[in-house]
Parts: sequence; C-alpha cells; structure tokens
Amino acid sequence: MRQLCFPRSFSLRQLLAAGWLLLVVGAATWAPSAALAPDLAHISQPPGGTEHWLGTDPQGLDVWGALLQGARTLVLVSVPASLLTLLLGTILGSAAGFLRNSGWQVSWRSLSTLLLTALAALVLGPRLVPASAWLPGVAAGSWILLGRLRLGRRRVAVPLDALVLGLMSLLESVPLLILVLAAAAVQRPSLGGLVVLLSLTCWTTPARLMRAATLQVSAQPYLEAARAAGIPTGRLLVRHIWPNTRHVLLVRFPLTIALLIGLETTLSFLGVGLPPEVSSWGQLLAAVRFAPTAWWLVLWPGIMLVSTILSLHIMAQNQANDVTPTAGILSKINETIID
Amino acid sequence: MRVLLRHTARALVAVWLTLSALFLLSRSVTDQAAFIQSTLTSNTRLDAQTNQAALTRQLLHRYGLDVPLFYVSWQTPTGWRWHGCRNQYHYWLGQLLAGDLGLSYRQGTPVRELLREALHYTLPLTLLATVGSVALALGLAVSLSYRPRFRRLMLLALHGVQSFPLFLVAVGLLLLLANPDALAWFPAFGLGLEQESGGWWQSTADLLYHLALPVLSLVIVSLPGLVVQLDGAIRQELALAYVATARSKGASRRRTLWRHVLRNALLPTLAQLTDLLPNLVAGSVVVEVLFALPGMGRLLAEAAATQDYPVLLGAVGLVAVVRLAAQWLTDVAYQLTDPRIRL
Repeated sequence: MRQLCFPRSFSLRQLLAAGWLLLVVGAATWAPSAALAPDLAHISQPPGGTEHWLGTDPQGLDVWGALLQGARTLVLVSVPASLLTLLLGTILGSAAGFLRNSGWQVSWRSLSTLLLTALAALVLGPRLVPASAWLPGVAAGSWILLGRLRLGRRRVAVPLDALVLGLMSLLESVPLLILVLAAAAVQRPSLGGLVVLLSLTCWTTPARLMRAATLQVSAQPYLEAARAAGIPTGRLLVRHIWPNTRHVLLVRFPLTIALLIGLETTLSFLGVGLPPEVSSWGQLLAAVRFAPTAWWLVLWPGIMLVSTILSLHIMAQNQANDVTPTAGILSKINETIID
Repeated sequence: MRVLLRHTARALVAVWLTLSALFLLSRSVTDQAAFIQSTLTSNTRLDAQTNQAALTRQLLHRYGLDVPLFYVSWQTPTGWRWHGCRNQYHYWLGQLLAGDLGLSYRQGTPVRELLREALHYTLPLTLLATVGSVALALGLAVSLSYRPRFRRLMLLALHGVQSFPLFLVAVGLLLLLANPDALAWFPAFGLGLEQESGGWWQSTADLLYHLALPVLSLVIVSLPGLVVQLDGAIRQELALAYVATARSKGASRRRTLWRHVLRNALLPTLAQLTDLLPNLVAGSVVVEVLFALPGMGRLLAEAAATQDYPVLLGAVGLVAVVRLAAQWLTDVAYQLTDPRIRL
C-alpha cells in the first residue's frame, strides 16, 4: 500500500522533454520583439564568429536571433491553434457521438421559425439596413402563428452525426497539407489568419477520436442506469461522459501541437501562410536552397525542431501511460505521418 | 458493388464542394484591377499601348472575369440580383465537366497542359515512393517479428524518425549526399533530361538517378507509420491458435508469416494505405520544391505563392481524384486479401 503514496516518478527522458519545452517557451518569451536588422557586412558567415556565434544567413540575418523569434512564432501559432482545434473537435465529436442521429429533436415550430427568419435575413442581404429591424418581428410572428396551428408540436430529429461525419469526409477529401496550402493562398498572409485556418482544417482527427470515445462510453451499462434514473442531459454529459473521455484530449493535446508545428514550419518553408517579415524556423531552413553548402542554416533549426516535436511525442506517451497503461498509444502517434 | 458506387458518389460530391468553395473564395478575393494591371505591366508591348480600356476588357473576357461571379449577387442599393446562367461559376462548372480547366493567370497556357507536363515527372516519383515504402514496410515488419532484440531497437529508431518533418529529412539528405563539400553522390536538383544523347535505357537510368534522393526522403518519412502499424497487427495475429496449428503441421516460419499471418495482419493496415498515395502527392510538394523538380507539387506550391488560382484549383482537383482512385484500389484490395468481405 505504501507504493501508491509515492509521488509519480519521472524518467530521465520525460524530464529532458519537459525541460526542453520550457526552454522553447522561455525563448519565445524573451525573444527580441524588434525586427532583426540584416548585417550586410557579414553574410553567409559560418558559426563561431564574435558577433554572430551561430552564423548568418545569405541575407545577413543573425541565426541566433532568428531562432529565438522563430520560437515565438511557433508558440504563438501552434498553442492557440491547437486549443481551438481541440475545442472544435471536442464539441463536434462528442455532440455527434452522444446525440447520434436521433438524440437532438427539434419541434417543427422552432425549426420552421429558424428557417423563415434565416430566409428573411438572406433576402434582406448580408448588411444591416433599416429593414433588418423587421427580423425579430418575422421571428416572433411565425413563432406565434405556428403555435396556433396544431402541426407545430411534432418533433423532428436533426441528423447531427451524419452532418458532422459528412463535414469530416469533406475536409478529408484532400490531404491536409494541400488543403492548408490552397486555403493559405486565398487569404492574405497573417499570424491570426494562419491560426484560424489551421484550426478550421485540423479539427477532424480530435473530433473522430472524441466521437469514438463518446460512443464507447455511451454504450456502457452505467450510463444506461444514469439515463434510467432520469439524470438530465447536461449533467449526464458533464459528470458521467466527460470524465471518461477527457483522457483522449490529454493525449491529443501535445500531439496536435506537434502536428501544427510541423505544418507551420512546412508552410513557411514553402513561403506560404506567414508574412515574409515574420521569422520562422521553416523560413530559416528554406534559405538553404540558395546556399546549399551552409550547413549551419540546417543544423540549428533542425535540431530545435526535432527536439521540440520529439519532446511533445514523449509527453503524449507519458500522458497515455498515465491514463491507460495498456492502450496502444503508438498507433495514435502514427496518424499523421507525412505532414 | 453498391458500396463502391456509394463511395464514389460521396467522394465526387466532396470534390465538387471543395472545388466550388475554393473557386468562389479565390475569385471573390481576386482584385481584378490589380490583376489586370500586373498582367499589362508585365508585358512591355501591351503596356505601351494607348487604348488601355479596350485591352482591359479583352483580358477580362479572355480569363472569363467579365461576368458576375455567382447566380445571385448583393448590391447595396437594390438588394439581391439574379444573373441567370451568365456567370463565372456556371461557365467554370461547365468547362470543368467538359475537362477544360481554364487558363493559367501567370503563364497564359491551358492548365491541363501544365498539369500533364507536371504529372510526367510526379507520377514516377510518387509511384516509386509508394512501391518502395510498401515493399520495405512489409519486409521490415515481417523480419522484425522473429528478431525481438532487433525489433525493439528498430521501433525506437522509427519513433525517432517520426519526429522529423519531411522537409527536414529532405534537406538533411540534400546536405549529406548531394553536397560538393561532403558526399556528392547524387545530383542536388533538376532532372537532367537536357542531354537527349542516350537511348531509352540511358534516359530511364538517368531519371532514376535524379529521383533517388526525393524518393528516398519520401520513403523514410512514410515508413515508420506503416511499419509500426503492421508490426502491431502481426504481433496480435501471432498469438492466435492458427499460427501454432500451421507451425505444428510443418509449415516453415517464413511460410507461416508470409502466407498465413500477413494476410490477416494486412486488413487493418489497408485503411492506412488509402491515405498513402495522396499523402505522398502532398509530400511531393515539399520534395519537388526543394529538389527543383518540375512536377505537380512544385506547380501547386508556386500557384499558391503567386495566387495563380486556375492552376491551384486544377491541382487540388487532381489530388482529390488521386485519393478517390486510392480508395477504389483499397476496396479492391480488401476483396483480394480477405474473401470473407463482400462489397
């Protein structure tokens, strides 16, 4: 019994991984915020110089400064984007898994009120005009009118599961990198735009996993008992389903960050998505195309990138071992290989 | 058969929706005046012409930009307006169904020609990478299953490889093996098709030599996922009774693995194989940009960087079709590996 009281022991590699991630976050915090000034007197300098101890790129930018600023871009893009991704995936996935195709029933009255109001809004057009003041009137009028008629009481089921699955297969009809590339070409390059774009395209994997977990939990006898006891839906979700599905998110969080880091650096390597004045590790690596023998442009950002992604994978493995010691976490890491 | 048809219909609808969304988005953000201006100024003879208004009209007509975008549009004073079938979307969809992908904004040539030329280079690259990674993954996974010590080491290494993004692997290979300062075994870029001296055999060998590094980087990146998945499936199958039966009836370890275990272990891996080919096409974006191969991926990346929307749409559509084809192949492969599954 004593064993259970021991604090959880960390292995060396977990400590190293956590330490590295802290270092990256620290670098992101303390990176100089002013744009880097090129030093045109020392371009393509190998490491070891007195001024630029990690060398400079063909435009004369200091590699060390670019690395620090790249760390900031990395954190600013990947952490908010993965939070948004997981939020979107959790909401859609667990709603689809819990409500299925018949769990969410709407009365004809509310459904047709909604449709009528939407139609009226569409006719009036996308901008606010004085006639828009009629919209609440239309809504209230149709609500009351339909309430008078008898048929408004009947309920129809919204096929939420089918809708979410359809949306997923729509997003997955093209590989992620190509979808993001095409969408990034349409929008103007910016940091916020990239975050929104990445989270709108990457939510399918967490949603799929959450849906599967919710389905699995919903089929358990204890949930049937809870339903039979008359526990309301909201509490059922919060107290009975969420505690048994959140481990998916805990494992998924580091993996999503790793995936997004890979995508972000690949995009800036290709010169798409971020404005050119924002430093990124991918951009630094792209400079090697013009200076094929400059190994220092590959080595430093490469080491940092690989250590970051590896640390995130180790963290995910750690989480997975905590919650389900026997689950095949390895297969979960393997979902997205190419990006 | 019904399942095949349903998959196809669903995939076609998905492709149509994706392409339509991309088309409408890209056309609505295109700044027509700026686009025409850049086209005019890029050509000095056109720029010197005095009658710029007529030229602009002709150019707009040439690229099909002189009619409204969609069936309906919103105008501030009058509200919604119905344009009938004379709109860009209708024309575009009609052309698409007829197999015409329009003209490239930047180069002025038909997109279909550009895509065909690009496929000429991308097809060998992706097919070689697919065949290479599948064959290597099968061989590796099977050989791992009866070498426990080697297996642990190999899996550890594969997990390490998984944290390398594709572009990093490609850059690393380029620096190591195609660097005049280190080992210059392979060419750093291009396809070397300029000298048409040798015969058929010579040119094929030349192509292979130039494709070696790109294919190698694609294989390295796609290998870990495949091997880990396949290895897990084989481990599960090895514990089952039929393996012991086969062994006790005198089948060699090799035969048991290749003929009995692998057939069953392949089933869960097939789903992953569906995504392999499209993922490799996506990967070829990075590889072709880095190694300067004039293929699909580079076309796509350049179109994205220069906002050449017709090319972008054509390339995305083509990739979606590749994914559809891969799905068909997987459905057929399910039949071949497991006759119990009837579609």
